[in-house]
Amino acid sequence: MQAFDCAIVGAGPAGMSAAIELAQAGADVVVLDRADRAGGQIYRSAADSPLPDAASLGPDYAAGADLISRFEDSGAKHLAGADAWHLGDDGRILFSYQGETRELHSREMLLCPGAMERPMPIPGWTLPGVMTAGAAQVMLKSDAVVADGAVFAGSGPLLYLIVAQYLRLGVPVAALVETTPRQHYLDAAPLMPRALRQLGQLRKGLSLLREIRASGVSIYRHAENLEVLGDENAKGLRFVASGKQYEVAADTVFLHHGVQPNLNMTRAMGLAHHWNSAQMCWQVTVDAFGESSVAHVSVAGDGAGIVGADGACAAGRVAAQNISHRLGRISRAERDNKTKSDLAYLSALKPFRRFIDCLYRPTDALSSPRQANTLVCRCEEQSMGDLRTGFEQGARDPNALKSLTRCGMGPCQGRQCGHLVTGLLAQWREESPEAVGYYRLRSPQRLLTLDELGRYETVTAEAAE
Amino acid sequence: MKADVLIVGGGIQGCATAYHLARKGASVIVVEKDYSGRHASGVNAGGVRLLGRDMAELPLSKASMELWQTLDEELGHDTGFRRQTLINIAADEVDLATLRAREIKMHDAGFTHERIIDRDELRDRLPYVSSNCVGGVISDLDGYAIPYKATSAFRLAAERMGAQVIESEEVLSLRRVGDTWLAQGSQRRYEAETVVNCAGAWADRIALMIGDNVPLSHAAPMLMITARMPHFAKPVVGAVSRQLSFKQFENGTVLIGGGAKGFADRANNRTRLDYAKLAAACRTTAEFFPIMCKASINRMWAGLEAYMPDNLPVIGPAVNAPRAFHAFGFSAHGFQMGPVVGQVLADLVIGGQCRFNLSPFRIDRFDRKVL
Amino acid sequence: MFRSLQDDDRDLVTLNVNGQMVTARKGQSVWSAMAVAGQVETRKAALSGEARSAYCAMGVCFECMVNIDGLPNQQACLRRVADGMKVLTQDISEDTEADDAGL
Repeated sequence: MQAFDCAIVGAGPAGMSAAIELAQAGADVVVLDRADRAGGQIYRSAADSPLPDAASLGPDYAAGADLISRFEDSGAKHLAGADAWHLGDDGRILFSYQGETRELHSREMLLCPGAMERPMPIPGWTLPGVMTAGAAQVMLKSDAVVADGAVFAGSGPLLYLIVAQYLRLGVPVAALVETTPRQHYLDAAPLMPRALRQLGQLRKGLSLLREIRASGVSIYRHAENLEVLGDENAKGLRFVASGKQYEVAADTVFLHHGVQPNLNMTRAMGLAHHWNSAQMCWQVTVDAFGESSVAHVSVAGDGAGIVGADGACAAGRVAAQNISHRLGRISRAERDNKTKSDLAYLSALKPFRRFIDCLYRPTDALSSPRQANTLVCRCEEQSMGDLRTGFEQGARDPNALKSLTRCGMGPCQGRQCGHLVTGLLAQWREESPEAVGYYRLRSPQRLLTLDELGRYETVTAEAAE
Repeated sequence: MKADVLIVGGGIQGCATAYHLARKGASVIVVEKDYSGRHASGVNAGGVRLLGRDMAELPLSKASMELWQTLDEELGHDTGFRRQTLINIAADEVDLATLRAREIKMHDAGFTHERIIDRDELRDRLPYVSSNCVGGVISDLDGYAIPYKATSAFRLAAERMGAQVIESEEVLSLRRVGDTWLAQGSQRRYEAETVVNCAGAWADRIALMIGDNVPLSHAAPMLMITARMPHFAKPVVGAVSRQLSFKQFENGTVLIGGGAKGFADRANNRTRLDYAKLAAACRTTAEFFPIMCKASINRMWAGLEAYMPDNLPVIGPAVNAPRAFHAFGFSAHGFQMGPVVGQVLADLVIGGQCRFNLSPFRIDRFDRKVL
Repeated sequence: MFRSLQDDDRDLVTLNVNGQMVTARKGQSVWSAMAVAGQVETRKAALSGEARSAYCAMGVCFECMVNIDGLPNQQACLRRVADGMKVLTQDISEDTEADDAGL
């Protein structure tokens, strides 16, 4: 059985940063990542962009290439294309690698599952042609594929970034339909002064918006009542802005209203979670050093609560130093010394985060379906009305509702409907999301062929070689 | 809160008992420590089978099978029951000999619901079965239901008849004072003339509060379900001598069981899976049905099940206290019996007797045995 | 309409998507190759039969499950193209019968 001091799952900013530190400390560290190349979602293909002009994606993306090369040179073992499907709190990891299930053990585990976009269940969100803004980013970064004449709708920095990137590349954009309500600006204003300490971040955001405005793209502000038009494919977006109804024609609609931690890995491990009311999502409960409710399992990066790429790097380094200490490689004092500046940075980020979280917090109208026939569960085609019927039949718990209606039973394993179900039940029960809870998840974390599992024998660790 | 009958456990046995008692006019409270259908009743494989049952269970199981055929109409809710037949496959001549020996015993006892089929009929009914298989045994009334839905259907019907089901309510203590059972729950206190123990994997603890000892153990039988695949098997499938068990639902998903057990962590209300055993179940499934190589496993789980040493349930009155009854320890095949067990317990509670011989299910049947 | 910003023709492979021959670049995801070819329908929803397409393109929505070389439930956004690959829109409903007894 192959055993490591530390196994890191996920080679995004947090995982790569942690691996560099641990390797430097002399720990035997392995990084498992599903993708062929390190980088995670944010730095996807940053080191080998297929784009003729990758600089147009901006300096933040370019910085990813440097981190990737430092990671690749760090001495940490990088298992690219290793898709972990079971993480045990006993330190055992089962993962698919070149079509086979392999196994390894580690004393310490660091999970860096990253973030995913908050589902946006507006009417028509299941039509072909409706995708997330993150999808536009992925297609652009890894395959240099873009959609001409798309509508971008929603709110948040990631949405503005992709619109700006499209414009820089000369890709026509039909419209930016911005949904941040006026009230959010008023609510966020008092938080602004403290957020100014992260002036650089704020400036970046503002310059994106300026850039978009200067391009002459149609921008609609404070939009509401969004609805995708079309019967078989998306044909456009209908919405109300400033009291007037608009319809913008487009066969591609990119939606976005923030990101949330990717929960399936931490949930399937049975780690403790709590509801983050500022970011309106579940997140795994960790201490300042990333230790979860199971001491030898740490979590860092957006998967432990949204912090952004720079925050994720800092959190990864902090978790790595703590793991070094747990492994007996450095003293507590050394750990404290080595984490001081990153912890200070993370703490300085908080006022900025609070400002962003408040300004771009998901509106009820976008994070919960408004119409009874809007699908909540895309896999099993369960609408809000179906769930309401199940609730009225006594299924008050997310798992009971799942058993009764099949909502959350499909291949996405609740990734799309989980937060929506917590939200709806909280509303119907008139209780907190915390009281309602979430699905009980299990391994495998994604579809696993019967053929592959059938070929799995307990000791298969040569894997790593 | 006061009622005629307090039922501990909101699984299918508890909810079916509540339904039949309420129908007969009794006031009933069901207390459930988690939510109704949370454990074995909600997460089992949903098999509704007569085939291969222990002789002692057959009279009850046959009566229950009759009830299943019209249960949806009776309860006014969908239990997901589908009569699809069940076939246990004979892999070789040894299996066929086993079947023939059982057939003689069954016929002697007057049971004729199991019928041996030959290679051709097997292939006819299961075109995708491996060509090595030589035959099997079939039961026509058998099929499956959706466990949580069936449990929920009984609960809803019971509630409609006036029963109350209280969830997140764990019984912390139970004592008999005079003619009354006093129960302290985690939320409230209860008083009842009669108490019924349907507490599944936790039933030994309730039995102890009542005054009865019982050698109950628990385990975590594991299940896997695939993503949808094209339909290839209508009947529910098992095997005579191998750990093969699966059913393809109408929606195309295939539920694979087979009895392999994971790890039961009762104290923490959870189970863990044994992936090496699940891998073996995959190999067996693909060996009998090569088409399953294309299947994608979507979820795996295990529920907490209560087992008795002889794999037969406890059904009947308490031996050390008056006005207390038990129904638990179904050893991973109690789901099918739920409908009749509800009737039996209602008859016992109200009339003191029932039409079945319950002696094989006495709670004290192991008292003088060394296990 | 989706299009590729790459203008050279290095490292090309050819795959078959629902009968249409599609050229794609080595390393490209099956989904983006389908998108550029205008083959955006990845699967039929099992109950309603409605057309579905990739939503997240990063492996979390499972909307892009297609049949690749006879194997169903493959996430097109995570699989990479290969020369000669056969991709079909996945259509498994309550009425779909298996038709490959010879497997």
